[in-house]
Amino acid sequence: MLVTWRYRERGSFLETFDPRARWFFSFFVLFSIVFFWDIRILLGFFGLVVFQYILSKLTWKETRRAWIFMLFFIVIIVGLNALISGRAGPPSVLQGTHTYWEGSLKVPLINWTIRINLTMEKVFFAITQIVRMLSMAMLFMIIPFTIDPRTYGITFSGMGLPDRVAFTMDLAFRFVPTLARDFVTTLDAQKARGYEVERIEGGIISQLRKLAPLVVPVTMGAIVNGEDITNAMDLRCFGIRKRTWIDALQYRTRDYVMIASGGLIFATSFFVKVVLNYGSFWMPEWFLNLVPI
Amino acid sequence: MEKKTLWQFGTREVVYSAIGAALYGVFSWATNFLALPAAGNISLRPAVAIPMFFGIAFGPWVGFLSGFVGNMLGDFLSGYGFWWAWDLGNGLMGLIPGLIAGSITSFKDGKSILLAEVFVIIGALIGMLVPSLLEIPLSGIDINTALIGYFLPAGLSNTINGLILVPILMVAYDAVAARSGR
Repeated sequence: MLVTWRYRERGSFLETFDPRARWFFSFFVLFSIVFFWDIRILLGFFGLVVFQYILSKLTWKETRRAWIFMLFFIVIIVGLNALISGRAGPPSVLQGTHTYWEGSLKVPLINWTIRINLTMEKVFFAITQIVRMLSMAMLFMIIPFTIDPRTYGITFSGMGLPDRVAFTMDLAFRFVPTLARDFVTTLDAQKARGYEVERIEGGIISQLRKLAPLVVPVTMGAIVNGEDITNAMDLRCFGIRKRTWIDALQYRTRDYVMIASGGLIFATSFFVKVVLNYGSFWMPEWFLNLVPI
Repeated sequence: MEKKTLWQFGTREVVYSAIGAALYGVFSWATNFLALPAAGNISLRPAVAIPMFFGIAFGPWVGFLSGFVGNMLGDFLSGYGFWWAWDLGNGLMGLIPGLIAGSITSFKDGKSILLAEVFVIIGALIGMLVPSLLEIPLSGIDINTALIGYFLPAGLSNTINGLILVPILMVAYDAVAARSGR
């Protein structure tokens, strides 16, 4: 079994951009989304993110697991917030009077009764939340699939991170396949000695302690090897001068355009929200009239 | 020879941050994809002990980067995207136990292990509290949802994982540290 990165060359238009430009753009858009709770504006961002997703040429098969993870969390958190808790959001949501459903839930064992007052305002706020959270998640979901892991070191160095931190990231990405191989070798070796990983039983504490025969040898082996790597790097005078990288990244016109677009989106969002004070929670009148009578 | 300080970040720290991050990423991936018992039970995430232990053994920066970059790697390997607030929280979970790195004399000494356990608890709780609270402005949830939906499950399970696995790793590392003379 091999550990594999999600990245592969897809020949998509998105891959032709410098990874630094893509990170800058993504952060600009992320911080722009954070300004707004107006679903009309958020749908604009959602459209932009969906457009980016289409450009990435990702398939359902590749991303199915990520989608399930993302949707599960969004549904759980929004559901918890809207139904059980329901104290988030602007006053117009909290003081909403258009009750859609009212009831109570009794928590077994502790006999705790939770009163649920689901108003149309809360329902629309939950819809807005889903659009907003989905936009933020999708914005970054494509990153591991569309940026070559070999370029992370040079990318973050080029974005202003100190050399040593950028090199840490670069090394970490390089160590993953080796350590994954060591993990699988250790797993096989322990199985050969009668260790039945599939049948670890007992309580949480007991189960965790029984994982030690896997976790300890891999970790200690990596630490021992780390000494040799440190010595080799020291002998080559690592960190004495600013380092060079084997790959070079070069901004092209399209990258400047992408960064400028991100900057423009952020500046406009800042102006709209902070100066014009526009973009707070909004709900159409017709939605309130959907309350069953 | 230059005197070692708690916050130094030289070649050794670069290498061990990278190893810690890669291990965290690999163990997270293994928990997600292998038929480990932990995989069926989302409350068990043994990988979180790695940044905590690396912080204690090699200092706060190593702990922070192991957690931050390691969580990022785990998400990248699983294809989950980039969740910067949770990467930051995982970084803090390694950084805080790392604050005692300078005061550890022996990794199998009872007092050192007890001190490490205290900082593991603080690290796990603060490390998961920060991203949970950051989700309030990011996702528009209230404090109850942040605490019940994010902080409690993540904070408690990470504390238990750390409390059990970190001492095991510390005792095992004691022999390695003695052999390497560091």
